[in-house]
Amino acid sequence: NGLRSLRPPRSRRPRRNLIKEGRKRDTGHRTAPLRLLLQATNSGDSTTSPPSSPPSPTTAMSRRGDWVYENNGGTCVAIAGADYCVVAADTRLSVGYNILTREHSKICELADKCVIASSGFQGDIKALQKNLAARELLYQHQHNKRMSCPAMAQLLSNTLYYKRFFPYYAFNVLGGLDSEGKGCVYSYDAVGSYERTGYSAQGSGSTLIMPVLDNQLKSPSPLLVPARDAVTPLSESEAVDLVKDVFASATERDIYTGDKVEIVVINKAGTRREYIELRKD
Amino acid sequence: MEIDEHVGCAMSGLIADARTLVEHARVETQNHRFSYGEPMTVESTTQAICDLALRFGEGEEESMSRPFGVSLLIAGHDENGPSLYYTDPSGTFWQCNAKAIGSGSEGADSSLQEQFNKELTLQEAETIALSILKQVMEEKVTPNNVDIAMVAPNYHLYTPAEVEAVIARL
Repeated sequence: NGLRSLRPPRSRRPRRNLIKEGRKRDTGHRTAPLRLLLQATNSGDSTTSPPSSPPSPTTAMSRRGDWVYENNGGTCVAIAGADYCVVAADTRLSVGYNILTREHSKICELADKCVIASSGFQGDIKALQKNLAARELLYQHQHNKRMSCPAMAQLLSNTLYYKRFFPYYAFNVLGGLDSEGKGCVYSYDAVGSYERTGYSAQGSGSTLIMPVLDNQLKSPSPLLVPARDAVTPLSESEAVDLVKDVFASATERDIYTGDKVEIVVINKAGTRREYIELRKD
Repeated sequence: MEIDEHVGCAMSGLIADARTLVEHARVETQNHRFSYGEPMTVESTTQAICDLALRFGEGEEESMSRPFGVSLLIAGHDENGPSLYYTDPSGTFWQCNAKAIGSGSEGADSSLQEQFNKELTLQEAETIALSILKQVMEEKVTPNNVDIAMVAPNYHLYTPAEVEAVIARL
């Protein structure tokens, strides 16, 4: 409002107020998910489109005859422990039978106790991770604290579902410490369905890795009542060793996994990162 | 009135305006639960209410013709423990340990100053609050003309029987 005196007189062409437009967009984004959900349940109509109506994959395909996604491969794994969380992803970026780079990070630190790893279409992944990081910053400013991992988990689910009819081609794994300091891992599908688990694998090598984790970590069923703790009793170094072993195994048979694995370990002391070499073929 | 399970508020002034603010706060707290899966802190809830207070100069979107003529006492419990905030029509808010608003607020505030201390139990606080209210009320205090609510840690509005029990201790 202090800038009002600097504005040109009203008779000239009105200038666009980008801050107001941005704020308008932001308010829509904040309240839109609840509003959309209420609209959908009220009208019983499952095809409500988001306010900004982006091109849906079906219309894009029928109009341009074009597939707008691409799979850049890669595998992500996360394991939750009693007071730590390990999140790991390989660093190969590929398209088709080609390798684009051997040193691409799929992991993004969103908050001090919250890290996301995503595999799939890198264009969508970059946009999604930037979006979440920006929302985390806004949350920090509004609420004077960093986002907790469970809060980020819910936000990611809503962000993915917001694009239910033109999804982010991203298979995500969120890992970190919850508000009590216990490890937590949340795994997602492309449209935001999520579950808190003790461990997860997503991406091209997930079908090779998940059975091994199931065998080694023996998670209790999430359907049990009372709910049993899903975190593994393994120590931090044992969990990191397990991650190295599963990545080495996946690299043998999955062409999209290899080069290096980036392992991020979050515990109450902070976050540390290490890189382990994998087979490059 | 209840804003969320962990936040309630008391109002003084134009009650109709207060209902608009409370409705807005309710929507904001539920949006927060929807987006982040956690309850909104009391300070953020208060901030959300006060954001509405001075929407005059925007032009097209949501601009008002007059301010909200109401003061609110917002009481809640979050991860920082219990807290109390006092808002006025300018949109400023203060955090307090004890506050009175309304026509009898000056006398009530000074009584609170004398009688409040940090070690009060819930029972003692009920008795003190009601006795101060009795001092500034013209009519006699009965279960039908007095409301008591507490947030400990969830919001609860006392039934007439519970109010009667507090009155009996005065």
